[in-house]
Amino acid sequence: MPKFTLDGNEIEFKPGETIIEAAKKVGVDIPHFCWHPSLSVSGNCRVCLVEIEKMPKLAIACSTTASEGMVVHSQSEKTLSARNAVMEFLLINHPLDCPICDEAGECKLQDYAYQHSKGESRFTEEKVHKDKRVPLGPNVMFDGERCISCSRCIRFADEITKTGELTFVQRGDRVTIVTFPGKEFDNAYSLNVTDICPVGALTNRDFRFKARVWDMSATKTICSGCARGCNIEVWVRNNEILRLTPSQNDAVNSFWMCDYGRLETFKQVHSNERINGVYMKREGQDVKVSWDEAYANAASELKHLNKDQIAVIASASSTCEDNFMLAKFAKSVLSTKHVDYIPHVVPGSGDDLLIREDKSPNAFGTELAGVHPAAGGLNRDAILDGVKKGTIKALIVVDEDLAAMSPEMETALAKLDVLIAVSTHHNRTTALANIIFPSATYAEKNGTWVNFQGRIQRIRPAVTTLEADRTLDNLAQSRLDKFGTEYDRWGRSVKLDARPVWKIFAGLSTAFGNKMKYTTAEDVLIDMGKSIDAFKKLDYEKIGEQGVQLELSAKVKA
Amino acid sequence: MKLSLKKVDLILGSYSNEEYKILFEMLSRNSDEILKDLIESGLKGRGGAGFPTGLKWKLCAEAVSDDKYIICNADEGEPGTFKDREILDRVPKRVLAGMALAAKVTGAAKGYIYLRAEYSFLVNKLQKELEEFHKILKSNNIKFNVEIFMGCGAYICGEETALLQSMEGKRGEPRNKPPFPTTTGYLGKPTVVNNVETLVSAFMVCRIGPEEFKKLGIQGSSGSKLFSVSGDTPKPGIYDLEFGLSLAEFVDEFGDGDTKAVQVGGASGFCVPRKKFNETTIGYRGGLTGDSLPTGGSMMLFNSSRSMYNILRNYLDFFAEESCGQCTPCRIGCQQLKNGIEAVKKGEKDPEYLNQLLKLSDTMKITSKCGLGQSVANSFSSIVTNFTEEMIY
Ligand SMILES: Cc1cc2nc3c(=O)[nH]c(=O)nc-3n(C[C@H](O)[C@H](O)[C@H](O)COP(=O)(O)O)c2cc1C
Ligand code: SF4
Ligand code: SF4
Ligand code: SF4
Repeated sequence: MPKFTLDGNEIEFKPGETIIEAAKKVGVDIPHFCWHPSLSVSGNCRVCLVEIEKMPKLAIACSTTASEGMVVHSQSEKTLSARNAVMEFLLINHPLDCPICDEAGECKLQDYAYQHSKGESRFTEEKVHKDKRVPLGPNVMFDGERCISCSRCIRFADEITKTGELTFVQRGDRVTIVTFPGKEFDNAYSLNVTDICPVGALTNRDFRFKARVWDMSATKTICSGCARGCNIEVWVRNNEILRLTPSQNDAVNSFWMCDYGRLETFKQVHSNERINGVYMKREGQDVKVSWDEAYANAASELKHLNKDQIAVIASASSTCEDNFMLAKFAKSVLSTKHVDYIPHVVPGSGDDLLIREDKSPNAFGTELAGVHPAAGGLNRDAILDGVKKGTIKALIVVDEDLAAMSPEMETALAKLDVLIAVSTHHNRTTALANIIFPSATYAEKNGTWVNFQGRIQRIRPAVTTLEADRTLDNLAQSRLDKFGTEYDRWGRSVKLDARPVWKIFAGLSTAFGNKMKYTTAEDVLIDMGKSIDAFKKLDYEKIGEQGVQLELSAKVKA
Repeated sequence: MKLSLKKVDLILGSYSNEEYKILFEMLSRNSDEILKDLIESGLKGRGGAGFPTGLKWKLCAEAVSDDKYIICNADEGEPGTFKDREILDRVPKRVLAGMALAAKVTGAAKGYIYLRAEYSFLVNKLQKELEEFHKILKSNNIKFNVEIFMGCGAYICGEETALLQSMEGKRGEPRNKPPFPTTTGYLGKPTVVNNVETLVSAFMVCRIGPEEFKKLGIQGSSGSKLFSVSGDTPKPGIYDLEFGLSLAEFVDEFGDGDTKAVQVGGASGFCVPRKKFNETTIGYRGGLTGDSLPTGGSMMLFNSSRSMYNILRNYLDFFAEESCGQCTPCRIGCQQLKNGIEAVKKGEKDPEYLNQLLKLSDTMKITSKCGLGQSVANSFSSIVTNFTEEMIY
């Protein structure tokens, strides 16, 4: 590969690569605002100007392609003085909003101002005033004064969503962002501009003014909204999720996530309908009981029944580990063949950017983990039919509101001898259940999901439950968690009594006299690898931050 | 009008109905020969940047593409420049002839005249000329078609890449260079963008031959060019003058006896004070890449009744208004310079503050994206340093 020299170090580059790209590959960040790796080059912020030997003028690193033998200085006096000067220009008109700006703490302008400017301004004239609260669409708010005209948002709408709602209008320092006449900035991915906006000019209307960035912890995990499995970060303060943001994974979601996933998948974690503790029906009332009592009770109820009268419905939102335990319990402890899950596919709801028609995050992994009827067993439709006909007398259902499917189903469920619901939320099915086990949501547990591509990715706990083990479960901590303040989420926060599905099935199994020796979700995964080829030799470290494409046999792929 | 300076009449003179006949004689020549003549002549662009015309055509000719374009830049937006409208009005055949030559050399089949919106009064005349031009081309079996594209009304749209953006229906904002229009121009295809006068000059070079052309002017600035003379002068107008004369000679001819400064090259050019008239030669300054050479040909004379502060403020008003606002230094710098000199004048800032502003304008020169922001410092520093007292009191 050809090489050029950057600040005295030789760097390899692929022909056609720009200086900024090649530098980034070796971990050198040439300061920039307008350049973004997945957008076209705009070259207007002028912060990435570098000195190139034998070139008469400074050149922008974002649009200058590297060439063999080129000698680039990104730290020379000339470069630094230009960079500082451009920073000074940017700050001349930038409002002093930091104390009330959502972006503070993750603001490129703030960061660079600390690193690359003088700390005082030579210019003290009145700043230019512009509109400060312009809703561009249902989700995004624009502050004209904070905008540094980098055009990232415009390029995002032009190039990524191809919806083109945004444009600059006016000239000079009157330049500002608007939507085209009659248009709203209302597309399925609009909120991504709040992530790529280098300053606080575009904010998430759902999150505005909710928290300071440094008060939250960020946990890398996966979106639960569909089979894409976008990589995200879950932002928590005081044990409450306040926002989700996408995290880069070029094999899955690039830098993006959809607005649905961002806004609609975390609030239920804190809904009033969450089930807190184990309940059993006594004289028509749900009575809180201990876990052990509920396990023992479930075991004795189920033991009375013929194994062909018992069915288990799993959830494609559960993790592979959850479903492996579920299938193992059903097939080897209950010895029932009737195991399946219910897919949630909404035809026509997908697009060619990210959103998938399959709304479950782990249908693929659920099947791989062994959730399917054993030979001669009933599949999902037959199980539900059996419930209606009365041939199925006991049902264990995980996170699936079967009663909401139809009045007929609801009546049939009410007539079951035993209905055990494992559920995150109260719903019409849990209302009919003899025993309700509270399950942890995706935000409260470790585990893996397999997306539609067959890529296994880790979910991680961001919110703590009563039983979560901080160390064992590796919960991310914010600065304040570590040093302790009144916002310490381990102190005053609400913690629910709920467990991951795999643990609930391990508990049931023990009550049947079959103790399972797993302490963590990872133990389950490692064990799965011994019996299921797709998971062979996997552990959490191997899956890592970016996930691993499973090697699937031709049969599975079909 | 009597002119004591060496009189030239290359661009506008001896215009006749024979222009196209001469063109076809040239078109029968080999492209390489035409290119050689142009390069030999040392002709440089008359639109502002002073890029060697022969080299520009050569680069476009070497670019490989089925589609190429020739664009005549008739946006003429530089304050104090009004020669392109005269050329289009008086010798339109020569402009089209220049375009046809460029088309022949580069292999383009399509051309556009990007006409300043305010010049709509020229449209009818040009359309008629185009009809005749196309008819004659057709009868000679030459595939070249020229259309008029009405300019988009902003000064910045005269900058060649902003011009291309606006032609593509986009916001008129300069692009990054490289790539240059010669390889990536209109619709991403190789394109020659030339000033109206450059095209005529190219045609005239081929007509009189590079040797004759080079007899005019001086080393590095060959030929003659049209100057738009305005301001405090008894004879405003356009004049075809040889390069190489000194500003003193120029002021002798055109001044009103009380000239204190000449703005050479319009708002984006330099202001030369009386004491430097003798040492200033009119011509291109420097190398190939200077983006801020005041070659548009505007000459504004100011006598002692003029306030240089007002003149500078006027220019800065213009730049603050016309900066496309795309890049940081120019978007904010233009406004800042304007606010700055106002504050000094009002006494809100110390005179010392002018030095800060000078540094700021220097930064704009180094860091701005296009010629507009890069050349604000020309007038700013030449006026502020030569007329500091007028800025303060
Ligand atoms: C702000 C700005 C405005 C310009 N306006 C014009 C113009 O009105 N006419 C023109 O011919 N060139 C103009 N130019 C120069 C063009 O960018 C370009 O250099 C020129 O059209 C090339 O033609 P030439 O090589 O024949 O000079 C302008 C440049 C800048 C930076
Ligand atoms: S709103 Fe943000 S992303 Fe858009 S141009 Fe302004 S600073 Fe850039
Ligand atoms: S595309 Fe799917 S996985 Fe990605 S953010 Fe949207 S709902 Fe979540
Ligand atoms: S220098 Fe001025 S006119 Fe040129 S691109 Fe930058 S803002 Fe626009």
